[in-house]
Amino acid sequence: MDDTMVDLDTFRRQARAWIAANLDRREGANGQINAQLEDRSAADIARARVLQRRLFDGGYAGISFPRECGGRGLSATHEQVFREEAAGYELPDFGGAGNVTFGPIARSIVAHADEAFVHRHLPRILSGEEIWCQLYSEPDAGSDLPGVRTSATRDGDKWRITGAKVWSTGAYYADWGMCLARTDWAAVKRRGLTWFAVPMNAEGLSVRRILQIDGSAGFCEEFLDDVVIPNDAIIGGLNDGWAVAQTMLVYERGAGEEFTGAVEPRDLAPDLVALARQVGRVQEPIVRQLIARSQAQDFARYHLGKRIAQQLMTSTSPQPAVAAYGKLALGVFAADRGRAAMEIAGADALVWPTTSEMPMSAKGFLNARMTCIAAGTNEMQRNAIGERVLGLPREPSFDLTKPFGDVVRDARTWDGRVC
Amino acid sequence: MTLVIAESLTPDQRLLQDVSAQFIAETMTLSKVREQTNVRTALAAEYRRRAADLGWFSLLVPDEHGGGRLSDNSVLDACLVAYQRGRLLQPGAFVATNVVARAVAAGGSEQQRHATLPGLLSGEVAAAWVAAPSPGAVEACRNDDTYRLSGSVRFVEDPGPDGIVLLTANTPDGPTQFLLSTDMPGLRIETADSLDISRRFVEIHCTDTKVPMAAVLGRPGAGAAPAAEQLALACVLLCAESVGAMDYELATTVQYAKDRVAFGRPIGSFQAIKHLLADTSLGLETAKACVVAAAAHLDAADDYAQQAASIAKAVVGANGQDLAQNCFQVFGGIGFTWEHDQHLYLRRLSSDAALYGDPVWHREYLCQLGGI
Repeated sequence: MDDTMVDLDTFRRQARAWIAANLDRREGANGQINAQLEDRSAADIARARVLQRRLFDGGYAGISFPRECGGRGLSATHEQVFREEAAGYELPDFGGAGNVTFGPIARSIVAHADEAFVHRHLPRILSGEEIWCQLYSEPDAGSDLPGVRTSATRDGDKWRITGAKVWSTGAYYADWGMCLARTDWAAVKRRGLTWFAVPMNAEGLSVRRILQIDGSAGFCEEFLDDVVIPNDAIIGGLNDGWAVAQTMLVYERGAGEEFTGAVEPRDLAPDLVALARQVGRVQEPIVRQLIARSQAQDFARYHLGKRIAQQLMTSTSPQPAVAAYGKLALGVFAADRGRAAMEIAGADALVWPTTSEMPMSAKGFLNARMTCIAAGTNEMQRNAIGERVLGLPREPSFDLTKPFGDVVRDARTWDGRVC
Repeated sequence: MTLVIAESLTPDQRLLQDVSAQFIAETMTLSKVREQTNVRTALAAEYRRRAADLGWFSLLVPDEHGGGRLSDNSVLDACLVAYQRGRLLQPGAFVATNVVARAVAAGGSEQQRHATLPGLLSGEVAAAWVAAPSPGAVEACRNDDTYRLSGSVRFVEDPGPDGIVLLTANTPDGPTQFLLSTDMPGLRIETADSLDISRRFVEIHCTDTKVPMAAVLGRPGAGAAPAAEQLALACVLLCAESVGAMDYELATTVQYAKDRVAFGRPIGSFQAIKHLLADTSLGLETAKACVVAAAAHLDAADDYAQQAASIAKAVVGANGQDLAQNCFQVFGGIGFTWEHDQHLYLRRLSSDAALYGDPVWHREYLCQLGGI
């Protein structure tokens, strides 16, 4: 039987049986990995590799990836069905690097890399042998990603890369990095960019973990000092990196439902109800309003995510900018939710015994900042919606027509006048 | 963009949506809405009958009771109509008429169905629906074969002359639902002026009003559960109307931001305006997602239907009010004039937000449904 014809009910039955026979039950597992904030030990990653290999051998890794890439060639809905069935079981947890590997990175490789590259890397990615990270943002280029300044210079049939990267999720345990570098400084900003696959153990590449706002360290910064990379490590065409970035950003902003979760959230904001009970405020009208508001937001965001995914899948002319809605919703609601927990907890979120850990309400409050700025700030999402969905005109800009080298030079000497 | 992604609609649904939109555009434009040509006039009756011919009041009633369901997702079908109605702020008790028709079909006696449904489905009469959280309350006392009703409710959409009222009253045995007609003795219906000028609201007064047992819908004292179901349906249909109004209002505002020039460029190119409109658009898309999700829960008749409806009502109510304010902000002075249509939307969305329970009420209700 042609496997691509598996209907959803059959698939669900098969997946359920396979999961029961091959995975372990795990309390509280909801099929969602929200791990960008947590540390991962070598043992955690080794365990994740074992589980990923098991999924791969069973035919449940890369369910919606093409068969010729080592996937199962089924639909995103099949993938969703598997996640629903697997809720409550232990799944491979590669932390944040896992999310980017199987989401934006694997998807952009399939869409843009040449056949040899795809065959070299995709099966190894789907089987858990290769975990990737994004060498993407830089100290001087975050929301303005096409403004990256890391340079790649041709040297015979090789490239030499020098620069600094930052905010790479899980780079300290990743095997490969997908690195955006400038290969033509005389071209305009978006025309001189190229993507390279960089082994994270390459000579001249150093990784440092960043101590974050809450004291944890999941993100890294990297310094590339004359790192030598072969020509066949280019992903997508030379100087054609912005096309790849467009694909990546769509998945980064949640088209793949990374931000949505697998299951419709029906329980009344369980974390906030527990918190309200803990501080004895569950009967206070204001607290109840906060709880219900958060529940409504969780529900709304889940269905907004589904709506966006449906739009991206069914529309005859896909408009990737609609993915910005999902990202903006997360960026707005997460901060709101963090604040709701603070307001419910009151002093308990602000002071605690020196012998205790920082409470979840405080930790969650601090970490809620992340989604307002990660993968493009809220303002970037608003620009995308405003300009590419609503069709509003752009602001005048200084960096669209001249060589990027001149943009950097002129910005330093700008006297504030607009002519 | 529309309420539902166009590609996911069936041909029947698309047809219903398109003929409804066309009927509205030809019959009841914004200028007619503004002139209140639809208030208790011959035109209103004609509008209702023609709307009934399109199936507007039959969608939620099974065929065996004279209805004309289009699909298994009949709540969504009705939402498609409601959305088109909302876009041009259509008057008339579309929501209540559908809620009451379905309630009578589901829980009415044979006699009640025969007496009520033909008129409602054909558009001859419209209905009013009254239950918590409508402001006011009616108490009912039973005396042998008769109930006596006392009390008042207000902020009820006008069912027009010869209308039907489904009213939930408190009795010592529990909430009881009564099917009344507006012209029955002892029932006083007073029209009110309202912030929303696209519709007409009434107050209903009962003064020791004698009502026969035959007017009880369902079992005496057992009205709480059907009233809650009716509330969920009323909320979702009303939300679909609100979302239609929001969609139209935002599109008008975005166009204005592209056309209006200040400081040498279209004001929509300024990030201050662009970001406001992007946030507003997010609020609208979120509202649509909630309405469609709640409609699906109602169509599945699952155990989260009431929660989903209340979530939709809370989200759409709040986002609709935000949208009206944000759009006003973009229009500036022109939006403060009577001539401009902006205030019609501001008025309608403010009224929608409170009708059948405001966001605060539905959040509290959500907590209770959630077991706290």
